[in-house]
Amino acid sequence: MARATRLAIFWTIAVLGAGSPALAAEPWGIPHEKPLVLKGRVVDALCHLTKRCVPDCGGGKRQLGVVQADGSFRLVAKGNVDFAAAVPDLIGFCGKEIEADGLLIENPAITLFFVQGVRAAGSSEPFVAAERFKTEWEARNGKAEEWWRADPEANRILAEDGPLGIKGLTPKPKP
Amino acid sequence: MLVAASLLCAGAAFPAMAQDGRRVTVSGEISDTWCSISGLMFAKGTAHHQCAVWCALGGIPVSIRDAKGDLYLILKIGDDEDSVANPRIARMATHEVTVDGELLERDGVKYLLVDRIADDKGVITMTHDEHGIQPFGN
Repeated sequence: MARATRLAIFWTIAVLGAGSPALAAEPWGIPHEKPLVLKGRVVDALCHLTKRCVPDCGGGKRQLGVVQADGSFRLVAKGNVDFAAAVPDLIGFCGKEIEADGLLIENPAITLFFVQGVRAAGSSEPFVAAERFKTEWEARNGKAEEWWRADPEANRILAEDGPLGIKGLTPKPKP
Repeated sequence: MLVAASLLCAGAAFPAMAQDGRRVTVSGEISDTWCSISGLMFAKGTAHHQCAVWCALGGIPVSIRDAKGDLYLILKIGDDEDSVANPRIARMATHEVTVDGELLERDGVKYLLVDRIADDKGVITMTHDEHGIQPFGN
């Protein structure tokens, strides 16, 4: 896919996604995606897989997933905020049953779940958009249109190593 | 006992499906898992470094992508079990590394418990001349 096309898709998704109430999973055109309401118990991945458990599913510092009734485990890799995960949306449900509206992506390289909305299992309330990352980030850092460009840690790393990851290497100026 | 009680109260409890892994050595590029599979942008090397830093700090799981394109999702490095927005891992975005660890395969995911980073070559794949800086340009 041409770079321009990919960028157009990215921005279309970003604009549409920003105003969406996330009542039902929105297709993103990602290879191998499948809209799905994932149902099960929220667990900390490391604890679930290895018995290396800590209280409260790691308090937001560990990757989270959902154990379904058949015992299968789905890692929830992404939320509805650009460049951000859904850990802030799930951590309050640690150990509890939920329904997560999103896209299951069964890529041959890896299977992941991209959640767009969450609610407690059995709830008749609408799904709550999985956008808590931005709320929490802004509570710590202040308002920003693009959190990623304003993130202090990201800016520290990129200032030290450069945007290309190699000290002293800079991109060519645009013609 | 207090810890055990806390775990039970939190509902984390003790997993019924825990399993033993196998020892592996994995070599490849450290990259955020989302960009690697979404196809929304070019997700490799210098062009992707900035984006990979952002995603790692946003808490998206970080993987090692080997030469075959397989993804090994990192759940810990050494004693450091923080796999969400860990600045130490974000600093290694798009680095070419070799690691030793334990591999757990489950429901379509290769989870990697890294014991040690045997080699870190830094960023060695030059892609920015062709692909710019992903996804927004410079």
